[in-house]
Amino acid sequence: MKPSHFNSCIYVQSETRNYSKIDSGSARTFKGDAPEDFVTCSCHFKITILLDPRRINHTESSTMTLFHFGNCFSLAYFPYFITYKCSGLSEYNAFWRCVQAGATYLFVQLCKMLFLATFFPTWEGAAGVYDFVGEFMKATVDLADLLGLHLVMSRNAGKGEYKIMVAAMGWATAELIMSRCIPLWVGARGIEFDWKYIQMSFDSNISLVHYIAMAAVVWMFTRYDLPKSFRLPVTILLGLCVYKGFLMELFVHVFLLGSWTALLVKAVLTGAISLCSLFLFVTLVHSN
Amino acid sequence: MFEEASEVLENMLKWSFPLSLVLFLVLVCPLRAEAAHEFSVYRMQQYDLQGQTYGSRNAILNTEARTVEAEVLSRRCVMMRLADFSYEKYQKALQQSAGAVVIILPQNMSTMPQDIVQQFMELEPELVATETIVPVYFALEDEELLSIYTQTQISSSSQGSSSAAEVLLHTATANGFQMVTSGAQSKAVSDWAITSLEGRLSGAGGEDLPTIVLVAHYDSFGVAPWLSYGADSNGSGVAILLELARLFSRLYSYKRTHAGYNLLFFLSGGGKFNYQGTKRWLEDNLDHTDSSLLQDNVAFVLCLDTLGNSDNLYLHVSKPPKEGSPQHVLLKELETVVAHQHPDLKFSMVHKKINLADDTLAWEHERFGIRRLPAFTLSHLESHRSPARHSIMDMRPHVDLTKLRRNTKVIAETLARVIYNLTEKVIAIPPKHTQVQEDQLASLVDWLTAQPRAAQLLDKDSSIVNTLEYYLNHYLKDVKRHLVRADKRDPEFVFYDQLKQTMNAYRVKPAIFDLLLAFCIAAYLGVLYLAIQNFGLLYSFLRRVTAPRVKQH
Repeated sequence: MKPSHFNSCIYVQSETRNYSKIDSGSARTFKGDAPEDFVTCSCHFKITILLDPRRINHTESSTMTLFHFGNCFSLAYFPYFITYKCSGLSEYNAFWRCVQAGATYLFVQLCKMLFLATFFPTWEGAAGVYDFVGEFMKATVDLADLLGLHLVMSRNAGKGEYKIMVAAMGWATAELIMSRCIPLWVGARGIEFDWKYIQMSFDSNISLVHYIAMAAVVWMFTRYDLPKSFRLPVTILLGLCVYKGFLMELFVHVFLLGSWTALLVKAVLTGAISLCSLFLFVTLVHSN
Repeated sequence: MFEEASEVLENMLKWSFPLSLVLFLVLVCPLRAEAAHEFSVYRMQQYDLQGQTYGSRNAILNTEARTVEAEVLSRRCVMMRLADFSYEKYQKALQQSAGAVVIILPQNMSTMPQDIVQQFMELEPELVATETIVPVYFALEDEELLSIYTQTQISSSSQGSSSAAEVLLHTATANGFQMVTSGAQSKAVSDWAITSLEGRLSGAGGEDLPTIVLVAHYDSFGVAPWLSYGADSNGSGVAILLELARLFSRLYSYKRTHAGYNLLFFLSGGGKFNYQGTKRWLEDNLDHTDSSLLQDNVAFVLCLDTLGNSDNLYLHVSKPPKEGSPQHVLLKELETVVAHQHPDLKFSMVHKKINLADDTLAWEHERFGIRRLPAFTLSHLESHRSPARHSIMDMRPHVDLTKLRRNTKVIAETLARVIYNLTEKVIAIPPKHTQVQEDQLASLVDWLTAQPRAAQLLDKDSSIVNTLEYYLNHYLKDVKRHLVRADKRDPEFVFYDQLKQTMNAYRVKPAIFDLLLAFCIAAYLGVLYLAIQNFGLLYSFLRRVTAPRVKQH
């Protein structure tokens, strides 16, 4: 019998069809003339698994789907955690300020939804034809995001970097919890495997960078000492930030991109925007 | 004070939140996600007849899919296509205690070559006779199911013979499928009532008229009840019986053509399960009632079974009719009509003694023969063991309408000559009736084959029974229903449920894939951590780049 061990209570099916309950204990290594190799890794789950995937039965596969959820969740959440720690925000006790920024995010989303529902009823247009004008108008409503970020930053006193980071972290974490945790919880835990959950987690990483860049651009836009030559690039970047979603949908629709290609294009676009904004930010801050 | 509390809370949340969330998740059982594909599957027969069990005993399954080429089949769902089906492969799957067997049938059976169809028809009785605990399902093929099958086939046949690197690459790209049915375990249906219908046309002139009984069983049989359409067997018999009812009710409505014979029409249920309907009807009429048409003067009983095709016609008897008896008259008239009006038809009598030691009776007339009523069965099949009587392949294309019409004409002519006592070479039924006959037959056969008519699916409220009753009511008098319920203590027949299920095919990845993914994600996160730690480098680089420009201003 080749056992598999888990920290939680899982039933293992043996060859004689007896079910034995494995309690949480130390991982046993199976000695003897077993032809397969064992992989033992100490992580939260303390799993001992055979390399032969045919031996895994249904009970184990249900824990595997929880493992998959763990994978996606850590992929989504860890960059936020790392950014929070490494940007030095924890030294400034910025936790509650980030929570306030998150609350502002919720409020702004609510207002946007109400506005969209009131003024943009579902079009009776032909199905399949991508409604460019309608989607463009809807994307314009995302200008409220900029207002929200400005509101958050204006209420926080401190250096420019501090304000930007607090606003961006709170905003992006609120978006992570609201729009990604629930689909991951419901979908990634199921038996059915789909690549879209990994893509969703990558997308949350890209969103983090995007919101940091957006906050920086908003901050720069509202500076009173912004040089004239910077006005135009900052405005262009601002416009790109707001309409990035619309541009992405346009690309996907026109070029019929696959899901991984679209993700790549989105990452490249966000990277370009953030590099430009970082460049402008550095120039602005250190030109004095 | 508030700040200290908030700091403590913050630390608590930061560290325990992911851990507690993960532990919480582990203890909660998973939800069902949307399936890659959802399709209807039809289970193999499961029934007990006279104490003996037949068919597949189990209904639920939740196993990974494999095809026959895979080495390990135990506790897996084995998928087979009809084109590749063979009895040896089926036996191999059963012997290795497979979790389930799913046989994929094409949507349109006529695309299959005849020899495969014929081979499957011959295998069907063996499949049903093998009692097994493995659930056996039939599914109709569509594009997605075919793609699932081909993907499973590729992964099954490549399992044995690849190196570790190929296996790793394979697990990252390929899909496994988990087949799950949603229903419960099958259990016996209690108190199932098999319905039979009778109706009569009374003869002209007084009491003690001889009675002719016309019988056809209306249910069908096949390896899967939901797929048994029974076009030829016995949809053709039912169609002919209903046509004869219409015809003779018209003739009996005129005083001139009102003959001196009572005509009793009987549509029996449970015919494929050893003629349960007929058996109980006979018991009730002969043992339990005082006066019944069956007790008095019965000229003969004519059972119609499978008459929709071919140029042969057989009259099956259990003992050859004696000279001068009404049965002999019928035989002679049949020969006359065939010889003079339909020379392309080959008619003969087949004599087979009733063998009570057999598990089931051969033809329906044997039920009557046991009760000493003179009976025949008319069929185009020579042997009762012919696979065409118990097959799911017996669908509408198996009935040839011209041959059905010709057989109807033969039977109608013969009966007319018997009841009107005609001896000359006269055509009893004038041709102007025949056009309506053809349309009627076509619509009857189309209606009968539009839905499956297995006995387990037709309870007393089913639309087929109601429609038959309505039709008989239109032409016959004294239409009555007759119910058969199995005896409680020693049931002659037991039916089981869960015959139609919805199966979901979930795309799954093997466990090794999750580990691989975890490694990749850990590597990605490590790189990200390093990048964020060294973000200052990028910052100072940009600062140095912008600094000379400032100096130029």
